[in-house]
Amino acid sequence: MTRAFSSAPLGRALQAAAPFVLAVAIGAIVLAATGHEPLSVYRLMIVEAFGDERRIAATLTAATPLLLTGLAAAIAFRAGIFNVGAEGCFYLGGMAAAIVGYALSDWPGALSIPLALLAASLVGGVWLIGPGLLRARFGVDEVVTTLMLNFIAIDLTSWLVNGPLLARGSANSATPPIGASAELPRLLPPSTLHLGFLISLALVIGYGFWSRISVAGFRSRLVGLNPRFSRAVGIEPMRVFLSMMVASGVIGGLAGGIHTLGLVHRFVAGFSPGYGFTGVAIALLARNSAIGVALAAILFGALSSAGANIQLFSNVPIEIVEILQGAVMIFAVAQLGFGWARRRAAA
Amino acid sequence: MIDLFLHAAILMTTPILLAAIGGLVNRIGGIVNLGLESMMLAGALVAVEVSSATGSVSLALVAAAAIGALVGLAMTLVITRLRANEIIVGLGFSVAVAGLVRFLLKSAYGVSGTYSPPGVAMLPRIDIPVLDSVPILGAVFSRQDPLTWLAWALVPVVGFALARTRWGLRLRATGAAETTVRAVGLAPLTIRDASTVFAGALAGLAGAHLSIGVVGLFNEGITGGRGFIALAAFYFGRSSPARTALGALLFGFFDAAQIRLQGHGVPAELVQTLPYIIVIVVLTGLGVADRRAARERAL
Repeated sequence: MTRAFSSAPLGRALQAAAPFVLAVAIGAIVLAATGHEPLSVYRLMIVEAFGDERRIAATLTAATPLLLTGLAAAIAFRAGIFNVGAEGCFYLGGMAAAIVGYALSDWPGALSIPLALLAASLVGGVWLIGPGLLRARFGVDEVVTTLMLNFIAIDLTSWLVNGPLLARGSANSATPPIGASAELPRLLPPSTLHLGFLISLALVIGYGFWSRISVAGFRSRLVGLNPRFSRAVGIEPMRVFLSMMVASGVIGGLAGGIHTLGLVHRFVAGFSPGYGFTGVAIALLARNSAIGVALAAILFGALSSAGANIQLFSNVPIEIVEILQGAVMIFAVAQLGFGWARRRAAA
Repeated sequence: MIDLFLHAAILMTTPILLAAIGGLVNRIGGIVNLGLESMMLAGALVAVEVSSATGSVSLALVAAAAIGALVGLAMTLVITRLRANEIIVGLGFSVAVAGLVRFLLKSAYGVSGTYSPPGVAMLPRIDIPVLDSVPILGAVFSRQDPLTWLAWALVPVVGFALARTRWGLRLRATGAAETTVRAVGLAPLTIRDASTVFAGALAGLAGAHLSIGVVGLFNEGITGGRGFIALAAFYFGRSSPARTALGALLFGFFDAAQIRLQGHGVPAELVQTLPYIIVIVVLTGLGVADRRAARERAL
């Protein structure tokens, strides 16, 4: 339906790439102003992100949490819910998986891994029932409530990891490590790429099919485009708001759980360097499409993986990545405004 | 003991109050400012740099207000002229400016996290001769810095300006009825931009208070989410500067209290969640009240 009415694919691709291009331009100005050579820095970043198998594996490892936080944001945005709470779900899910993974250290992985991921998803989903209900019942702005819940979740997990759950004899704030059997298997040793990447990619692909061919996916898009029309044709927008909010929380929590089981193997203070917020940028850049989420997640994964390396080899601080991420967020909503979906559908 | 606590609480209130008044004015003009944190951070860094380079506190304050206003201007232009969603742009500025500040620390000063140049001139403390020796009043009023006095002076001034002046009326109209403002020949977007620049300048001063008023150096975590606490304060205060000040004072007390409570086994992390919980409670209360009012109108 969309396809028949939309402009040429090339035009759409250019439009989607515009925020990223602008962000790269801003980054180039910052680099040039601080005495770096923008072109050679960017060239080095591309090489460091995709140069060989080891580097590609590092990029995909870095993209793994972003696939799911991007998906968590996209599935909510698509239904017209502006959930920015994936960051908090990520922390809580990571903590839940660390607790279960440690408690079930003696269990076989076939049991402890699904249970840990289930716990992570549940915590994330339950965490967002509140803002979902408040939005659906009383029209309380979900952006502010979910943003506040992020800070609460970060403080809460930070209290747990510094107090009740601090690993014995650990100087820095970390829980005890999970059992070896609960670790997700590595895909390409010695690289850190783990099974979580395939799980995340499969979920994004599943979302692609769900959003395009299922009745529920169509309903949620309809509610996102026009809640009043949806109600007129017998879809209850409030129910869709609530269920998509919870689905978003489940995915955000799962993202944290996978990050614990696959990469960190415990919960540490500062568990996420803003994966939830990067997920918002990814969903905006991707315009909530599955392919877009996958591409944008790999792009941001490449940025952070290359950013860490260029800091080692070329004295360009890794924070250039944050500047690019923030700029993408800003430009992704600029010009077209927030009503882009509506306008494009009307065109 | 109680004197020390009161003094600390007032001190911690100042940056929250400054940013919250800016955010309040901005919100009345029609923009919920989630970029306050980034403007505070920029102000804190510039204040340290200028204070150390020139030795002049006034120049440092002017520079901090200017950089805050500049970040505010950039943010508001994206929102009003490129019609971007204010929430995402605000979050984007928070991410990008935090990145830029840390990038500059490493790239320009070669330090990571903390920047402590020599000879930073600190905000002066104003002694009030007789009051100084009065137990509680002395702690509250004496030995406070000029920005604290400015912040509290702004509460009635902004309240009066909003309620009783032409500019206040125009600002309120811009937030409430943009088309009406345009119909009478004013430029609502420009008025809105001015309110964001004002908020940016105050947030820049709030940052300066943290860096050259409290610690005398810059740290990348110096703002510690106070831009978002300020958001909590002006949500708590709705459209009233006095209520906003009350909210800021409450959060300032939490801030001072958590340092003391730590010694008594109350975890600081849990105290820190209180402002955020209060925002959710206030928003819920407003939502319920709105629904009830709408239902009564419908009857």
